[in-house]
Amino acid sequence: MAGFLGRAGYFSRETWLNIRRNLTLTVAAILTVAVGVMLVGLGLMARYASANALGRWQGGVQFEIFLEPDVAGGQIDALGEELRNHPDIERIQFVTQDQAFGLLEEMLVDEPELLAEVSVESLPPSYRVVPRIAEGEIIESLAAQFRQRPGVYSVETGRQQVDAIREWFNSFRWIVLLMSIVLAAASALLIFNMIRVAMFARRREIEVMKLVGATNSFIRLPFILEGMLHGLAGGVVGAVAAGALRSHVEELFGRSEILAFFRSFTVTSGQFTTATIATVLMGVIVGALGSAFAAGRFLDV
Amino acid sequence: MIRLDNVTKIYKGETRAVDGVTVNIEKGEFVFLVGESGSGKSTMLRLLTAEEPATEGDVHVAGKDLSRISNWRVPYLRRNIGSVFQDFKLLPQKTVYENVAFALEVIGRPRNIISTQVPAILELVGLSHKQQSFPDELSGGEQQRVSIARAFVNRPLILLADEPTGNLDPNTAQEIMRLLDRINRTGTTVVMATHDQTIVDQMRRRVIALRAGQVVRDEQQGVYA
Repeated sequence: MAGFLGRAGYFSRETWLNIRRNLTLTVAAILTVAVGVMLVGLGLMARYASANALGRWQGGVQFEIFLEPDVAGGQIDALGEELRNHPDIERIQFVTQDQAFGLLEEMLVDEPELLAEVSVESLPPSYRVVPRIAEGEIIESLAAQFRQRPGVYSVETGRQQVDAIREWFNSFRWIVLLMSIVLAAASALLIFNMIRVAMFARRREIEVMKLVGATNSFIRLPFILEGMLHGLAGGVVGAVAAGALRSHVEELFGRSEILAFFRSFTVTSGQFTTATIATVLMGVIVGALGSAFAAGRFLDV
Repeated sequence: MIRLDNVTKIYKGETRAVDGVTVNIEKGEFVFLVGESGSGKSTMLRLLTAEEPATEGDVHVAGKDLSRISNWRVPYLRRNIGSVFQDFKLLPQKTVYENVAFALEVIGRPRNIISTQVPAILELVGLSHKQQSFPDELSGGEQQRVSIARAFVNRPLILLADEPTGNLDPNTAQEIMRLLDRINRTGTTVVMATHDQTIVDQMRRRVIALRAGQVVRDEQQGVYA
C-alpha cells in the first residue's frame, strides 16, 4: 500500500511538472482537442435530433387524410371503419375540427391576426394513419387509395419531409464527422509532439531510469497520463462548448420563424448526457493514443 | 557472474568493436578493462547491461543468457547491475539525496526503505553532510561519489564503471578507488574500464587488456601495460 501511494505520488508529481514546463504547447493541444471533440459532440446531438424529429413521423403517423370541412358525419364514420379494417393499417387517430384549430392556435401563437382569419368550421378534420409497414412505397399506395374517396379533401404523407430532413442531416453528419476526424488526428499529432518534447526535455532522467532498471511502463506512464490529461481537459472544454452551442441553437430555433421548422429537432437531457460523456471520452482516447504512440516510439530498451 | 563466449559485436555491418572475446569473471572479482580508446572497453560494458545485443556469441550476466532475455526482463537484469560513468550522469535539478533516492523510487521501492537506505549509502560514501546540496555545488570527486552511491544503493551483484576517474585529479581518483575497493569487499563484482595506469598498477587486480576488440592479455594481479 505504501509502495502504491509512493508511486501515485511520483506519477502525479511528474505529470504536473511536465504540464507546467510546456504551457503554450499544452494550451494549443487542449484547444485543438476541444474543437475536435466539440464537433463530435455536435454531430452526435444532430444525429439524436434528427432521429427525434423523424421519429414523429416514423414511430407514429405516416400520412394524414384531410376531409372536406363540411363532410357528412356518416362519411367520416364509414371512412374510419374502412381504415380500421384495412389490413395494412395498424391504427388511426381522428383529429376533429376543434382539435385541428387547437393545433393551429399553438402554431400561430405569435400571429393572432392570422389566426383571426380562420374559423373552426373552415378547418378540415383528419385521420392520422399509422400503417403496419412504414415503407415509402406502401405509404404512397395507401395514400393513393384514399385520395379519391368521397369527402376526402387531400392526403399528405410525411415522406417528402422525412427524406428532406434525412438528406440534410446526413450531409451535415458527414461534414462534421470528417472535420472531427481531421481535428482528432491533428490533436493526436500535437499531443504526440508535445510528449516527444517532454521526453526530450527529460532525456537525462529517462537515461538514468533505464540505467537503474526502471521498467518501460513505469517510465512511460507519466507521459501517457499527461497526454490523457490534456485529452481530458480538451474533452471537458469541448463538451461545455457543445452544450453552450446547443442551447444557443435551440433558442435560435425557438425565436426565429424561418427556422421554425427545426423546432422539432430537440435533444433530450439523457441524449445530451450521452453526447457529453462520449465527447469527453473521445478527448481522453485521443490524448492517450497520441501520448502512448510517442512514449512507445521514443523509448526503447 | 559474467561469462562471454566468443562474443563479437559488429556495428553497422563493418566495425568490429568486440571481436571473438571469451572471458569469465567470478563473483566478487575486481577486474580492470584496459586498452586504448576504441579498443572495445565501453562496448563490452554495454553488452553486459543489454544496451547492445551481441552480434555473435553468448553473454551471460548474473545467471541470465542475454541473447535470450526478453525486452521486458531487461530492466530487472539492470537492477542487479550498478553503473558508474566518467560524466557522473547526475540530475542537476535534484539534490544529492533525491538523486540517490530516484534510483530506488523508479524501481518501485517503498518509501520507508528509501528513507533508510539512502542516508545509509550516503554515509558509506562520506556525503552525509551534503544530502541537500545540488550536484553543481559539489566537487568532481563528490559528484562521482554520489553517482557511486546511486549505483550501489540497491545493492547490485555487479558494479560496472566506465572511466570513473577520467575526469578527476589523482588524489580524488585515489578516493574513488578506495570506495570501489570497499564496495568490492562486500562481495560485489566490480568491472572497471580505465585509462589510468597509476591506479591499475597500484591496485594489482585482474587486468584484461583489449586491442581492436580482442583480448590481448588477461592477468591476475596485473599491471596496465
